[in-house]
Amino acid sequence: MSQNNNNTAFDLFDPTGMLKTMRNENMDAFAKAMVQLVNTDAYADATGKMLDTWLASSGPYRKMLDASIKQALAGMSLPSREEVTRLAERLTNIEFRLDDLDAKLDEIAVLLRTASARNS
Amino acid sequence: MSATESKPVMGLDYAQVYDQLAKVSERFKTFNRLVTTDAKIAQTPKTLIWTLNKAKLYRYVPIAPPDQRKRIPLLLVFAIMNRPHVLDLRPGHSFAEYMLARGYDLYLLDWGEPGPEDKDLRFDNYVLDYLPRVVRKVKSVSGCSEFNMLGWCLGALISTLYAALRPNDGLKDLILLTAPLDFTDKKTGGFSRWTSSADFDPDRIADTFGNIPGEMIDYGAKMLKPVENFIGTYLNLWDKIDDPKVVEAWHAMNTWVRDIIPMAGGAYRQLITEFYKENRLKAGTLVLRGERVELKSLTANVLNVIAEGDHITPPCQSEGIMDLLGSRDKEVFRVRGGHIGIMAGSGAEKATWPHIENWLSKRAN
Repeated sequence: MSQNNNNTAFDLFDPTGMLKTMRNENMDAFAKAMVQLVNTDAYADATGKMLDTWLASSGPYRKMLDASIKQALAGMSLPSREEVTRLAERLTNIEFRLDDLDAKLDEIAVLLRTASARNS
Repeated sequence: MSATESKPVMGLDYAQVYDQLAKVSERFKTFNRLVTTDAKIAQTPKTLIWTLNKAKLYRYVPIAPPDQRKRIPLLLVFAIMNRPHVLDLRPGHSFAEYMLARGYDLYLLDWGEPGPEDKDLRFDNYVLDYLPRVVRKVKSVSGCSEFNMLGWCLGALISTLYAALRPNDGLKDLILLTAPLDFTDKKTGGFSRWTSSADFDPDRIADTFGNIPGEMIDYGAKMLKPVENFIGTYLNLWDKIDDPKVVEAWHAMNTWVRDIIPMAGGAYRQLITEFYKENRLKAGTLVLRGERVELKSLTANVLNVIAEGDHITPPCQSEGIMDLLGSRDKEVFRVRGGHIGIMAGSGAEKATWPHIENWLSKRAN
């Protein structure tokens, strides 16, 4: 940064310059230290453990919540998330088939154009 | 109150203090607007020409005169866990706009946002179900049996897999940007180190969430450089908040960064296990739907663009595969900058874009 050129001298006309320099220098050091920290095996292991613990401990509650929502939806004669998802999957399959048909129609169109050009 | 009317009281000129406070207030307003609103991005005109499930294929409206247009279409493939708008960030600073002005017939693939029904999508699906159909459509619309492809980040990984599995599909020139392909080095780059931890279980994460929340991926990416991403970016903005050019650029980039999408759970499991942990692509043991991926089968011309300051895909993850490619014409281009900065930063227009354009145009169109 441009303020770094006169690091140590106090500039009467730029009283915040020194503060900015200090901030930038400290920030750089802090940033480098943090990058080094997150690139250690200890950090990787700690993060992995924390994530794993959280997922393991919250899993049963999430399952309970899902089960009760499913029950409530069934009670109101509404489709569950799984049922809507299955429907969406079927629609995607239909889309794939339509796309394949589209490709075949393209091929037929090209063949017809070639044939008519040859005949004329 | 003007400066001429004010009188110094206790050594303070109130007019100046007032002016300074007004300026600070204005800066706060600008800052607030920038971090809470969306800029208009991805404005280059384009037409939707194909959709499948959540994926969309666009063709940019050509702007070069017909006699100056390139014959071979260029397909842009971005990552699956971000929007591709970064390729067309803002008018006057857009890779799409740059290439269109130079006569390229440009196509953009947007993978879209996976829904719960897409949680089992894997790279097998992206490479063997979606991309061949996209290529077919590009060829059909352009009327050209050949095509060029530019893949960025995981889009580069998908492009590489496709190019290796379908070498006779008409792919002529392949441009890889910050491509994560070689995970031999587990100590360079935070993601490699984190995911190689024994406690990091991608299956448990995917089983819990289905699709991996965008916020989680975004947080992980930001934690690679936590001070810069959580504090530095805002301090830098504050320092330059009176510069309209900086403000406009920051706003556009922040709009793209904030627009995060989930990643399909199946692809996430595969990425962590088969690529990061087991390095199957480099080892030659990667199999997609029964087909072994062999890099020597990739014969298209390759330009591998590497960001020297990339924390997400460190250079070693892109460089290591060059000797394994079957291509005769291959080049590594190293650029100063980060994962996104090399294509969307202020220097992209002078360094990365011209190099890509020159490389492509030299290989006949």
